Amino acid sequence: MNDETVIKVIDIVKGPLCVSTEDGQILHDEIAPYIRGDKPITISFVGVTTLISAFLNAAIGQLYGEFSEDKIRQLLKVKGLDQDDLELLKRVNDNAKIYFKNKKGYDLAWKDEVGDEE
Amino acid sequence: MIFSLHKVKSDADGFMHLSMLAEATQDISDEKLRLDFSRCTHFDANMAAPLAAILNHATNNHNYIEIVNPKRQIEEILRKNRFLRNYGYPPLEDVNHTTLPFVHLANSDTKSFASYLSLHMNGKGIPQMSDRLEKEFRRSIFEVFQNCVSHSGSERGVFVCGQFYPYQGRLDLTISDIGVGIPTNVRRHLRNDKMLPTDAIKWALMEGNTTKTGEQPGGMGLKLLKDFIEFNGGRIIIASRQGLYQLVGKKEVYKKLISDFPGTTINLEINTKDTHRYRLRSEVTPENLF
Repeated sequence: MNDETVIKVIDIVKGPLCVSTEDGQILHDEIAPYIRGDKPITISFVGVTTLISAFLNAAIGQLYGEFSEDKIRQLLKVKGLDQDDLELLKRVNDNAKIYFKNKKGYDLAWKDEVGDEE
Repeated sequence: MIFSLHKVKSDADGFMHLSMLAEATQDISDEKLRLDFSRCTHFDANMAAPLAAILNHATNNHNYIEIVNPKRQIEEILRKNRFLRNYGYPPLEDVNHTTLPFVHLANSDTKSFASYLSLHMNGKGIPQMSDRLEKEFRRSIFEVFQNCVSHSGSERGVFVCGQFYPYQGRLDLTISDIGVGIPTNVRRHLRNDKMLPTDAIKWALMEGNTTKTGEQPGGMGLKLLKDFIEFNGGRIIIASRQGLYQLVGKKEVYKKLISDFPGTTINLEINTKDTHRYRLRSEVTPENLF
């Protein structure tokens, strides 16, 4: 028996546009409890026409701050994304992994490079 | 006070000139500001967005604004895009369907912005664009809108205006806010008061760099925009405080503005005749996605 839950994004954002961080946060808040409870979850993007990185950062990228890569890989699935949206999501995920690994190091490294010269 | 506006194109000189207007009017209050267009020989319609942002600041300081002596062609285009409506000039019908009218939207008005794009982008060079190009352009526009809303730190909304130039195969969309600007945001974030405005913009354009704090990663919107425009052969201009960035094709230029340009304006210009195939850089599978 397949008891996997499917969350339909168009129901969460009430339309085909995934273009705000606020909507991304709402989707994140739907997903996170499943992963926290070790339950598999599928996000369906069927019907979504526009998707931006800021939405995905809030909805999915943010998960890497709370859960391990293994756990996310094991429990989270997506469907209904075409190849270029998948590529965007992959970029968001890769960026999020680095962001949370180096949350402080990032800024300090740049600060050293630019220095304080006027 | 009287300010004589000269030529304003969507280029570094155009932003430089508008920054002079911003600086000249920054501290006036309870005055009559007469914006004299008699020496203005050219005004790119989409530049109504940053002009409106500057004039909004003046209006907020209780100044009365009067726009006078625009040349016939300039008056027509600025009536067609409805910018001049607030200054006593009735709108003109856009019979050629080349304008994306001027609008002032609240930060939370993403849905109105989406309706605006659906309503006004259709027929503006879109028939020439492939589905993939249109999708990437729409994505880029929303990235810019979200970027303004997230980072401006201002409750005074965003100003949007666009223009399609059919003969050149170019579509310009300009989005302005009157927030703190990229240099201030980045300086605060890095705790570096002396960072040059152009270095701050350079920092903001690097993938992974974000001034957002908290649990949401960021720092991708502007980099994605850059990648898209580079490939498309279009142009981006970002003007923010005393920094200006321009990308034309693959050529990047950073310039220091002499005067302080308020907030952040991003001008996106896409090449609607782009025939590139938008190929993917890597094949993403469910196995390597997370």
